[in-house]
Amino acid sequence: MIELRNVCKSYNKGAVRAVDDLTLAVPPGEIFGFLGPNGAGKTTTIKMIVGILAPDTGTIAIEGRDNRREPLACKAVTAYVPDSPEIYERLTGLEYLNFIADVYGVPARERAERAKRWLEVFELASAAADPIQTYSHGMRQKIVLSGALIVEPRVFVLDEPMTGLDPRSAHSLKQAMRAHCDRGGTLFFSTHVMEVAEKFCDRIAIIHRGRLSACGTLDELRRQAGESQSLEKIFLEMTGS
Amino acid sequence: MRRFLALLGASLRQNFGLALLKYKVIKQRKDLWLVLLFALGLAGVLPVVVLYFKVLGLVFSILQSQGQATALLTLAILAGQFLILVFGLFYVLSAFYFSRDLEFLVSLPARPFEVIAAKFGVILVNEYLTVVLVVVPAFVVYGVMAAKPLSYWPLAALVFLLLPVIPLALSGLLVMAMMRLVNVSRKKDFFLLAGSLVLVTGVLFLQLGLAGNRSPEELLKFFTAADGLARLVGEKFPPCIWASRLLASGFSAPGPGYLALYVGVSIAVLLLLLLAAEKLFYRGLIGLAEMAVRRKKLSAAALAGRFANRRRAWRAILLREWKLMNRTPIFLLNGIFSVILVPAMFFFMVRSGAGSSSIAFLKILGSGNRTVEILFAAAFFVACGCLNGTASSTFSREGRNFWISKVIPVAPRRQVMGKFLHSYLVAVLGVLSGSLVAKLAMGLGWKSVLPAALLALVAGAFLTAVNMAVDLARPLLTWKSPQRAIKQNLNVLLAMALDVGFVYLFYRLFLLLRRAGLNGASLVSAMLAAAALAAAISLFLLAHIAAGRYAKIEA
Repeated sequence: MIELRNVCKSYNKGAVRAVDDLTLAVPPGEIFGFLGPNGAGKTTTIKMIVGILAPDTGTIAIEGRDNRREPLACKAVTAYVPDSPEIYERLTGLEYLNFIADVYGVPARERAERAKRWLEVFELASAAADPIQTYSHGMRQKIVLSGALIVEPRVFVLDEPMTGLDPRSAHSLKQAMRAHCDRGGTLFFSTHVMEVAEKFCDRIAIIHRGRLSACGTLDELRRQAGESQSLEKIFLEMTGS
Repeated sequence: MRRFLALLGASLRQNFGLALLKYKVIKQRKDLWLVLLFALGLAGVLPVVVLYFKVLGLVFSILQSQGQATALLTLAILAGQFLILVFGLFYVLSAFYFSRDLEFLVSLPARPFEVIAAKFGVILVNEYLTVVLVVVPAFVVYGVMAAKPLSYWPLAALVFLLLPVIPLALSGLLVMAMMRLVNVSRKKDFFLLAGSLVLVTGVLFLQLGLAGNRSPEELLKFFTAADGLARLVGEKFPPCIWASRLLASGFSAPGPGYLALYVGVSIAVLLLLLLAAEKLFYRGLIGLAEMAVRRKKLSAAALAGRFANRRRAWRAILLREWKLMNRTPIFLLNGIFSVILVPAMFFFMVRSGAGSSSIAFLKILGSGNRTVEILFAAAFFVACGCLNGTASSTFSREGRNFWISKVIPVAPRRQVMGKFLHSYLVAVLGVLSGSLVAKLAMGLGWKSVLPAALLALVAGAFLTAVNMAVDLARPLLTWKSPQRAIKQNLNVLLAMALDVGFVYLFYRLFLLLRRAGLNGASLVSAMLAAAALAAAISLFLLAHIAAGRYAKIEA
């Protein structure tokens, strides 16, 4: 469960309003897609949810807990994957996974099982013992995703998770996320790929210039914009200047 | 030419972060205080510069009375070129082959020599900044006190501008030849380390060679013969002699000859570098990019074995810090290598009899007053353990990966303690290697070494916490080359200055306690108690501010 209430965030001492009075809720069991043009405030919102940035005003709750009053409790149930896989290049893939499992307190036996599973799903098993600096962009993205999946958190927050993934890995990720939400978990993810949002998400929000333009199921968005429109057309209409 | 200038301009702006600084200061109005701090820092350095001028004036008078005035120029030029050589090799290696903009630059429609020339220009500017305070005051003092004519000043400017060219171009040629000949593909870290070690060893032996093989009578002869000192220090690197004689003679003979030699050789070596760049640069670079990685799948049992241990969070942080520091060559050189190498160099210098400072140090230690002996030894151990960039770059080293520290469910206080343990471990290694040098090379007894080491370990905890606090206040997280995180990080310099200041405060405390009638064990115990109190307070404050600072740092 993720809840944002009247969240605002500005840069340059208020000159640039990145997120403007954003209110939305993602209940358990839901795959929530967050769309918006470049610079609309998607990454800023995501960074505020996971505690990298602090909102100027408003509150963010994860599983009912305020993420500024109880940051550790919120972080313990959340796994985050950034839009760019910047991770410790001098560690090996295995060392990175072990580090993440250590700080999230994943028991030894479970981490071995989960690591084996995800390394095989993402076809990283033969590269896991090598330094991350020898990985391609896609492999880095997969090791960050494996680190998030090894934790098995209640809440996933993923920023453009499909970027750099090959079709097989993207498919595996979507299956894993569906299964996670079917078990009652929450997924909040941003994407630029309309097709993914259209087919994969239970609900979609469109943010434009920091403000929420629309939020609902695909059918609800269609009703708002006019019958039988594709998500791409709805998106273009709502974000056109 | 226009392409080269465009490349140079962009490289300079990137190197000094000019665009980012302009954006932050003018647009975001965020780091205005940094500009103020920089101005204050410059103002703070001024008294030291004035003192340096006075010392140089004194040195000039002494040298002139011995007929050795030119030695001032030779010494300054040699010191400058030594610095250029030490820092230059790292700059050249990382700029030519390991910087992240190379892939972009190679794809541009520019010739290899233009890319190298632009990179050379950036290194040159960095080197000017490195040596300006060492060399220019000596040129000014010589020019004023020797009442040189007006023509001296443009010549001095020319000598300064060309000063880094020969050593840097030679480093560049050496690096390019090695990168072409040696298949470094997967061993680039090893190559970087090995090259650095060869350089440090070379510098050490050069230093030992200056005095180590000569008898005191021979040395005396050098000091009394006209221009002998200049020849002694300059014979290892003839351009020093050419430059100093050019400045001493000006446009009258034999000045023009030295001018032609100095300028001619500088241009020739630079042209040789550009020619070599055209032939060798891209081939070496492509060899580096062709990374054939042999992947090996781990068996299920081996994989399970790798995940068999569950560590507590602080241990995981400590282990992460240890691995990241020691697997990044530039970090390793400034961490464990420096705390072992610096005392080792001191050891060899003392054993060879070279280095007047070490002899002076021995005299103080041999004064017979054990309390003084202990306190000076402790200061030396602290310098061995703490005057490096480990603690003062601990947050900066995370760079763009700092987001991980912000999202993991580990309290900043505990993360900081994991980091502290890592930095302190390096400091402890430094204190231990310093203690061994004091015992083995200086003949200090255990009765002095042990209490001094204990005092240094406690004071080291205090200084480690202070150094970390400096970096936590404003970590440098936007770097692209790890060199910027530690070698070009203002926090490291600021922390070192603070360390020296605190050691001085401890010295004042020692004087105060002695005046109050304390001596021997009671005085050392009082100093130990003061250091322990300072360590406890600084650690408490560091842990206390950690949560607030972590929340404010926007990764």
